Amino acid sequence: MGLTEKRLLIIGRNGAGKSNLLEAVEVLGSLRSHRSGNDQDLINWGEKRAVLRAVADNQDNLELELRRKGGRQARRNEKLLARQLDFLGPLRCVGFSALDLGLVRQEPAVRRHWLDRVVMQLEPVYSDLITRFNKLLRQRSQLWRNWAHSSSQERNSLLDAFDVQMALVSTRIHRRRGRALRRLEPLAAIWQERLSQGRENLVLDYLPGSCLEGEEEEESWRLSIENQLMAQRVDEERLGSCKIGPHRDEVEFLLNGLPARRFGSAGQQRTLVLALKLAELELVGELYGEPPLLLLDDVLAELDQMRQLLLLEAVGEDHQCLVSATHLDLFEGEWKRNSQVLEAEFLMGK
Amino acid sequence: MYLLRQPEDKVQKFSNALLAARSQVGQCQKCFHLSAEPECEICRNLERSEDQICVVADSRDLIALERTREYKGLYHVLGGLISPMDGISPELLEVSSLIKRVDQYQTKEVILALTPSVEGDTTSLYLARLLKPFTQVSRIAYGLPVGSELEYADEVTLTRALEGRRSMD
Ligand SMILES: [Zn+2]
Repeated sequence: MGLTEKRLLIIGRNGAGKSNLLEAVEVLGSLRSHRSGNDQDLINWGEKRAVLRAVADNQDNLELELRRKGGRQARRNEKLLARQLDFLGPLRCVGFSALDLGLVRQEPAVRRHWLDRVVMQLEPVYSDLITRFNKLLRQRSQLWRNWAHSSSQERNSLLDAFDVQMALVSTRIHRRRGRALRRLEPLAAIWQERLSQGRENLVLDYLPGSCLEGEEEEESWRLSIENQLMAQRVDEERLGSCKIGPHRDEVEFLLNGLPARRFGSAGQQRTLVLALKLAELELVGELYGEPPLLLLDDVLAELDQMRQLLLLEAVGEDHQCLVSATHLDLFEGEWKRNSQVLEAEFLMGK
Repeated sequence: MYLLRQPEDKVQKFSNALLAARSQVGQCQKCFHLSAEPECEICRNLERSEDQICVVADSRDLIALERTREYKGLYHVLGGLISPMDGISPELLEVSSLIKRVDQYQTKEVILALTPSVEGDTTSLYLARLLKPFTQVSRIAYGLPVGSELEYADEVTLTRALEGRRSMD
C-alpha cells in the first residue's frame, strides 16, 4: 500500500483491522505499540510469525519479523540488525488513540506509561532501563516470597545485591523522566493556553516515588535511594511490596494551580491530553529536524468540531497523518481535503 | 557470532547435546566443567596458572572464552545464575565450592565473567561480597553489549572484555 497524500483516512467498522494497521506502523516506527505491548496480537491466528514492512521516505526498507514464540528480527535494507535500536529513525511517529483520552483521570500507572513513551522518543535506550527495572522489581519481590522463612542474613545479602542495581536504575529513570517533563512543559503550556483561549495555565509536576534530595547528581541520588531501600525493608517484609522507586512515580497536571485530575472538567481534561500530544509532536519534530508521522487511532471522532479544527491547524501540512474512524462523516470537512481514503474491509487477509 | 548465525533447530540440537553430555559425561570435581575424567583437561593442564579463577555460569560460556585463547588461568562453572523467579538460590549453584577453592588454593584473582543481565549482575554482586575477604575480585567490564548473552559474543569482543576487566568494589 502506498501513501500518495498527506493524509490517509482509514474507514471501517470495529474489528476490521484499522487499529492493526496503525499499530503495525507504530511498531515499525518505534518498536513499541501503545495498545497492547504484545506481539501476539499482531500475528494472525494460527500463524507462527508476522512480517511488517515499510518503505520510508528516504527509501529505507524496513522489515520487522515478529514470532509467536517471542523474539523479533529487524532488517534494514535487507540487512539483519544486531541491535534493534539501529532500526529506529526512518519512520518516527507519534500515536494518539481514544485510549489516551483517559490519561488525566485514570490511575498513576497510565501516566507513567505515557511519560515513558515520551522519554523513549527522546532516548530510545531508555526502554532497556524500564525492562531492567521491571525485572529487578519482580525478582526482588519473588525473593521475599521464596526466602520468607530462611535465615535473614542470607536473604539480606541477596537483597543488597538487588538494591545496588535498583538504586542505580531508579536514579537513571527518575532523571530521565524529570528531564523529559521539563522539556515538554513549556510546549504543552503554550498549547493549553491556545486551546483554552488564554484561560488556562498548565504546569507539569513530577512527583518521584523515591525521595530525591539535593543536587541532581547520579552518585548522590543513587546512594540516597540505596539507603531508602534498606530503611524500608522492615515495612516491606510486612506489606510485601517495595515502596521506593520509579514504580511509585506520579505526574500531576496543574491547571491554574489546581490538579486537573480532581478539579478539571471532562472538557478541560480532553484539551489537556490534546495539548500534551501536540507538545510531544512538536518536541519530536524539533529534536529530529523532521515532522513525525501522526497516528490518530479512533480519536478524532471523540473530539468536538472545534478541537478537530485546532488539531488540524496544529498538524498543518507538515505532518503525514494516518487516521482511523468508523465513519467518514465523523470528520470535520477540512480533514478530508488532500486525503486518501481506504476502506478497511480490504485490509483483511493482506 | 557463532550460535547466532546457526538456524534455530541447530542451536536447539547443540544445547540438547550439551545437556545430554553433561548427564552422561559428568563434571570436573574441581571446576564443574563438563568432563569424562574426575578432573577436566583444563584443570589437569600444568601450564595453566592457578593464580586466577574465571567464574562462568555454564560450560557453554567457558567454551566461548576458551576460543579466545587469551586466558591462561582456571575456571569455575557455577551451573546457573541466581534467579528467585526460577527458584535458583545460591545453594543450588557451585558457590560454596568456589569459596572453599579460593580459600584453600589462595587464588590471587577471581574474574567474574557473567552476562550483564539482572541475574548475572545480581550473582556478580553477591559473589563479589563473599569473595572480598579472600581475594581480589574483578569482572569483565565492557565490550559486551547490554543484554547480549556471553556465549554469543564474538572472540574479539571477549578478548577486549578480558583485557578491560575492572576491580569490583
Ligand atoms: Zn576442571
